[in-house]
Amino acid sequence: MTTRQSSTLVVSNGFTCCAHCLTEISPAGKPWKRSASLSIIKIVQIPGSTSSTHPDVELRHFACPNCSTLLDSETALPDDPFLDDVLNPRREN
Amino acid sequence: MDPITFSIIRHRLYRVVEEAVITLKHVSGSAITNEGHDLMVSLYEADGTLLLGGVGFLHHLTSAAEACKSIIRRFEGDVHEGDLFLLNDPFTAALHTSDIYLVSPIHFNGELIAWSACFVHVYDIGAMNPGGFAPEAQDVFSEGFSSPGLKLIDRGNLRQDIWDTLLNMVRGPEMVALDLRSMIACNNVAKDRMIALIEKYGLPTFQETCKLLVEQSENRLRERLRELPDGSWQSRQYFDVKGEVYKVLLTMTKVGDELTFDFTGSSPQSKYSVNCTKWASLGGLFAPLFPLLCYDITWNEGVIRPIKVIAPEGSIVNCIKPSPVSVATVGAIQSVNNAACTTIGKMLASHEKYNDQTSAVWHANHFAVFMFGKNQKGGEAIGILTETFAGAGGARTFADGVDIGGEIPNPISRMANVETVEAMFPVRYLFRRRLMDSGGGGQYRGGTGGEIALVPHDAPDGGLHYVLSGKGSKFPQSEGLSGGNPGALNDYVWVHTDASTKGDDCFAQTLDSIPGDKESISWGVFPLMGKDALYVRWNGGGGVGDALDRDPQSVLTDVIDNLISPEAAHEIYGVEISDGVIDDFKTGERRSLLKHKRVSSNGEKR
Repeated sequence: MTTRQSSTLVVSNGFTCCAHCLTEISPAGKPWKRSASLSIIKIVQIPGSTSSTHPDVELRHFACPNCSTLLDSETALPDDPFLDDVLNPRREN
Repeated sequence: MDPITFSIIRHRLYRVVEEAVITLKHVSGSAITNEGHDLMVSLYEADGTLLLGGVGFLHHLTSAAEACKSIIRRFEGDVHEGDLFLLNDPFTAALHTSDIYLVSPIHFNGELIAWSACFVHVYDIGAMNPGGFAPEAQDVFSEGFSSPGLKLIDRGNLRQDIWDTLLNMVRGPEMVALDLRSMIACNNVAKDRMIALIEKYGLPTFQETCKLLVEQSENRLRERLRELPDGSWQSRQYFDVKGEVYKVLLTMTKVGDELTFDFTGSSPQSKYSVNCTKWASLGGLFAPLFPLLCYDITWNEGVIRPIKVIAPEGSIVNCIKPSPVSVATVGAIQSVNNAACTTIGKMLASHEKYNDQTSAVWHANHFAVFMFGKNQKGGEAIGILTETFAGAGGARTFADGVDIGGEIPNPISRMANVETVEAMFPVRYLFRRRLMDSGGGGQYRGGTGGEIALVPHDAPDGGLHYVLSGKGSKFPQSEGLSGGNPGALNDYVWVHTDASTKGDDCFAQTLDSIPGDKESISWGVFPLMGKDALYVRWNGGGGVGDALDRDPQSVLTDVIDNLISPEAAHEIYGVEISDGVIDDFKTGERRSLLKHKRVSSNGEKR
């Protein structure tokens, strides 16, 4: 059985999985981003930014290491940790 | 209770608020009230319990409830029929001194049975900078008149000494008087209509309805929360003042039928006036909670009961007196609002049933520009550029965000016509339009923000000055959702020339073509004199989903409409356009390449 964790992730067999290909990303109920593929682009390099944009702020993309589906994104300064979104694993059927 | 009667009284209460808002707008003469709709009216029970949150700036619903309760405590035994109280102290209940609460007890047959409350951002409050936002203030004592509660009307009689004292401390006293009178009229209408309602249905029925209304809201929210999965979701906001970076970190935890908003990890309070008090933080997080989680639930105290807030004392979300807070409403409060919008959105997206109720962050950052100076009629004018209320919609899980789509905390906000501003101030607009590449990329694009440029025109003093409390130019704050990009950033540019520069009147249609030196600015008081120009752009909404999944035809349409650039089509959306036509093969190749880069890059794991 799978249950929805977000629009891109599901919980299945005790794991947080990519909703597209069901690849296991990390144990359910634990932060999952460390096990995803991470790519980083500086915000200042994105069309629409200006010369005033802080040079260090970055956009982090977290993708499924198997099928490249984009799982989540977040804005951060380089030294700040990932934002963690965690579902209580009790919800899994 | 008879459900028909319950429903009729509930709807009648909405109409009471609606009519009071109309009254307020009809009497007030300020653009920020009439055009920007920076106002709020709500109803409270006899003990200050929020009975019905009305329309307007939702940040104020919980603060005005605390204002009622504070007045009840302060004036215990001295609340009479026909009284009206004023409160605007941020460390008692208000958000900042400019947003004055007028609170009116409602009596029926001599018994206190309810309260009405309203606010407007008054024309001026006597702060060190005109208009109320005081970026140069070092403490709350520099931010104008502030009262933890005073009786402005005693048993129907205006206290002239208080009135005169207040107006003696502000710029434009005739306009501030009009603001205050608009709120008095608003409360009077609310009171009259409430009494008429009670006369029709009887006090016991009215009071039972009030009790049930609050219980119903609490029960329905708790029921909704029980449907959603338990878990915790995080969000983070950055903003900058004069090179100092501040962070609002939120962890929202849902267990059973309760939600906890924990701001531990947020920055210490600032020396600048972007701080918010704990009442302001409370208002900031409830503003998105009401419409996102309680869109079909009456907004009242019942919604507040399942919510717990942890805001560390001495932090930017719970500052200690006498910290300056005048810019709070467009400072840390907005970041609290944005962070709550994101965490609530993530929680809703975790359940199939509520996925279509979620949204990326809307217009995340007001650009507060208050102009002041002598106008073309020889009078003094102070006022906000109401484009700050124009906003931008965050993308949804099924559609793009609305361009220039307003903002979540104020469903009725809007901007004035260009002609209205030009009639009030000695300025001329060079352009005002949607801003290319401002909506966050995604399968569903964030709504665009906008851009404007102004020059002095027909100014007796050669121009005017403006107070700028500009944030949002360093860090994007309209966060995306489910992989969506954030909306683009604000920016503020002062274009200035040597006073002796000769030339034709400027009719430039882009920032680059405005003659003069371009200087990025964000904080303080600046001139718009001679041949100066002021350029402002404001943020778009966040995107939702993977930009590489966006329908290429939608990308092409956006390019044709100048909403995204060909560069963005290539870089963000992976769509290759040649001679106005999508190259399907190259688009497929480009998107495959961009997807491959996601898993082949070596991002450091944190």
